[in-house]
Amino acid sequence: MNCSKAQRLVQDFADGRLTDGLARELQRHVTDCSDCRVAQQRATRLQQLFALKRHEHAGAHYFDNFLDNFHRRLALETAPRPTLWERMLGALHIQNVPSLRYGFANAFGVVLACGMVLRGLISMDLGSAVARTDALNFGASQVQTAPHSQPPRIASILPRTPGPASTAGSGALIIPIAARGEPSTPRYVLDRISLSPASYEVASIHF
Amino acid sequence: MTTLMKLPGKFKLGTPKPVEAGQPVDLSLADDETLVARVQHGDASAFDFLVQRYKERLYATVYHMTSNHEDANDLVQEALIKAYKSIGSFKRESSFYTWVYRIAVNRTINHLKRRKNKNHFSLDDIDSHIQSDPDFVELMSHVTPRREVGLTELQEKLNEALQKLSEPHRAVVVMHDVQGMTHADIAKVMKCSEGTVRSRLFYARQQLQGILTDYL
Repeated sequence: MNCSKAQRLVQDFADGRLTDGLARELQRHVTDCSDCRVAQQRATRLQQLFALKRHEHAGAHYFDNFLDNFHRRLALETAPRPTLWERMLGALHIQNVPSLRYGFANAFGVVLACGMVLRGLISMDLGSAVARTDALNFGASQVQTAPHSQPPRIASILPRTPGPASTAGSGALIIPIAARGEPSTPRYVLDRISLSPASYEVASIHF
Repeated sequence: MTTLMKLPGKFKLGTPKPVEAGQPVDLSLADDETLVARVQHGDASAFDFLVQRYKERLYATVYHMTSNHEDANDLVQEALIKAYKSIGSFKRESSFYTWVYRIAVNRTINHLKRRKNKNHFSLDDIDSHIQSDPDFVELMSHVTPRREVGLTELQEKLNEALQKLSEPHRAVVVMHDVQGMTHADIAKVMKCSEGTVRSRLFYARQQLQGILTDYL
């Protein structure tokens, strides 16, 4: 028997599962081979150490309430789960469930209706703004010819003659070119534009 | 004994033993098959006898795998609840004990995987009979200075070493070396071949010998 085979068999020997012939052969080998002898001793002592585990026991009264606990946990696990609504009411400690349910449904309906109306208004407003913006992209002439477009209010915010910068109401800073020292006819540049509807109106006039 | 609540699920099993209605039967003496048949036919109180019969053996296995007696108690309860809920699907291809044992071991392995590297030991006491255990007497007869440790320390070291094994290896060692189950039974519980059981056992023991080298 060589060492490789002997070391595979030492665990079976420690378990007492080797046939008599193999056990004798192994014993002959380990008397001559110190490595295998150590391996056999370790395997045997590990098995002896497991005696500790075999003698570990829960306390005398550890299982006294085991069955009661089992029933309690089983009852909890098999009980029907409360709905989200029931859990919410439970958390709020609300007793009069039916009236609250109707109240909640009504309130929810009102909020939903308000939301829909508001959404409709917003979409209408956005629709007209989009229409105006689209028109601006095509040029001022188209804006002027659009049937629903507002007349540009630029006249109210721009000075009649080149003068100091104006930001009146529109959010746009309009700087007369003459104020920057360039000799020319009165012209304006749009220096800054903000994201308010008024900005679109300012931009509608091409300077 | 408290009666269990109504069984969930449907019960459609092959050939249960006839249950004699109205006749008083001492269920504590009934075999597992009879008790299982009664549970499957709606006599939920019969399950109590199965719980009483196997709770300690299940606990011992789960405890040796977790090294924590609170976790072990919880896991055994969970395993028994799972068994009770699924007893309608128990086909009796194996014994009830093997079936419930498999549930407990699988639950424990899952628990240990979740709890990875968060070992908290709460160890059971070692009973006084160990002093007369021939294995222990033999072990203690080879006392060397470095092994002059108390029983509690030895217990802790052994549990620590076991916790260093992977869950399947630990399960095999516990079932074979501590519980004394055969390779065939372990293979049934673990749903693997006997060869796999032997190989896991060999590898796990090699690892344990390496870890516990100072105590062997």
